[in-house]
Amino acid sequence: MAVRHDRKVSILDVMGPVMVGPSSSHTAGTARLGRVAREILDEDPLHVRFSLHPPLAATYRGHGSDFALVGGAIGLNVDDPRIPEAIRIAEQMGVTIEFGEEDLGDVHPNTVHIEIKGPTREVEIVGSSIGGGVIEVFKINGFQTRFKGDSPTLLLFYRDRPGMISEVTKIIAEEGINIASLYCSRKQRGKDAFMQIDVDSPLSEEALRRICSALDVVDARYLDRIP
Amino acid sequence: MIESFKQLEEIARDRDLADVFLESDEQEHAVPAEDILEALRKRRAVMRDCVERGKSGGDSMGKLVGNEARLLHQAFQEGRTFLDPLTVKAELYALSVMGENARMGVIVAAPTAGAGGVVPGMLLALEEERNVDPEKTVRALVVAGGIGSIIALSANISGAAGGCQNEVGVASSMGAAGVAYMMGGTTRNCIHAAAIALKNTLGLVCDPVGGLVEVPCVKRNALFAVHGLTAAQLALAGVESVIPMDEIVEAMVRIGRSLPRGLRETAEGGLATTDTGRAIAQRLKDEANRRRAEKAAERERAAQERKTHVTS
Repeated sequence: MAVRHDRKVSILDVMGPVMVGPSSSHTAGTARLGRVAREILDEDPLHVRFSLHPPLAATYRGHGSDFALVGGAIGLNVDDPRIPEAIRIAEQMGVTIEFGEEDLGDVHPNTVHIEIKGPTREVEIVGSSIGGGVIEVFKINGFQTRFKGDSPTLLLFYRDRPGMISEVTKIIAEEGINIASLYCSRKQRGKDAFMQIDVDSPLSEEALRRICSALDVVDARYLDRIP
Repeated sequence: MIESFKQLEEIARDRDLADVFLESDEQEHAVPAEDILEALRKRRAVMRDCVERGKSGGDSMGKLVGNEARLLHQAFQEGRTFLDPLTVKAELYALSVMGENARMGVIVAAPTAGAGGVVPGMLLALEEERNVDPEKTVRALVVAGGIGSIIALSANISGAAGGCQNEVGVASSMGAAGVAYMMGGTTRNCIHAAAIALKNTLGLVCDPVGGLVEVPCVKRNALFAVHGLTAAQLALAGVESVIPMDEIVEAMVRIGRSLPRGLRETAEGGLATTDTGRAIAQRLKDEANRRRAEKAAERERAAQERKTHVTS
């Protein structure tokens, strides 16, 4: 058997998305990957660099993946008819764009490394467009994870210490919200750590405020389902 | 969670297949059945729009395709087609969607954009020709999507992962189940329709000329829409696949793995590397380079102008 997904793909994922052509893996999926980077950055980008895994680098142009990646990175949805104009629009917004090639290892052919910079922050992701517009981001700012963008998600960057996970999950439990999946990783014991919490229903402002004010949270990002 | 077709057949033996899929999706993804149906009503409307827009044709991005739907539509209107109307319409609608797709128009990936003409081709043609209630078509989209979601548990739905069997093959399989459902087939009929369709696409490679979703993708969608209809026809008559659907999917995954990289969407084998395929790829490359050079020159000129402006 091949890859078994951790969760079943939904009917709407298979029979969709509604998107601008011509390729769900090269256009819709890549637009969503760009969008993930933009949503984590959470401000208008100034510079974006896309490093494409060799098989993607060989095929991206004919599929308009360049338009799609840039479209996503400036916040367009996959069904936005402006996607074919995305590069021009980005230039008008003053965003500088770079495309390059990078061997990303033993990964899906359609994998890209995105570095996006805004006025105050920068974000780096590595993710694959695995077909039908479905994506899997497996690295966020250097942390290993598994992000699919199909549910509301909280990303927490914090300093590693005992009890952190239970504090955060307790606040979510008190909200009566179910956690669909939880991924944690860290760079070194007691140093930078990362937690990704996918939830079944949206978190309230109050819960987010409580989580973000917890001791040792360095940065937090709450993302909706990526359209 | 429904993990296999074997399990699906047991769960859904005496039940409406669309209801079973809606329930399972609701449990798994916390999306109410009515929301799924509503989203699919909209997607059916996008498919319809696409079919209408696409009939008139027009150049694709790579200019390799674009007039297939217009030509067939003309022939059909002038009474010059010889196949029955259902078959012609299935071809026509699939071509229309794929033409729109190749023009970067808005389409529904079903399950992918490159295979996005097959399901609307089959389902919308059948709806029209047999006066099926559009709501039934929406429920057939649930069935088709549900079949695809079980396949996707073990297979990546992309040409890059396993060739065209993973895209057009899967679409044809999903559509065959949808058609069997629309024609009043049982759960068993639907699963066998899917199995017969998929089984007979195994080994189909992904070798797009110049790497574009144009050749052979556009016409292939039309042909495999018809393939799916014939699979549904057999299954509705009681014909069954000897190899069970779960094992067919396993075979598809194995075949996909053993396909050389050149036949998995890389445009480095098959049709893409025929004399004509290579010549087209070279032309596309030259054109892209020329456009890039023109753009760079334009930027340079603009920069010069700004400079002159400042000094004056």
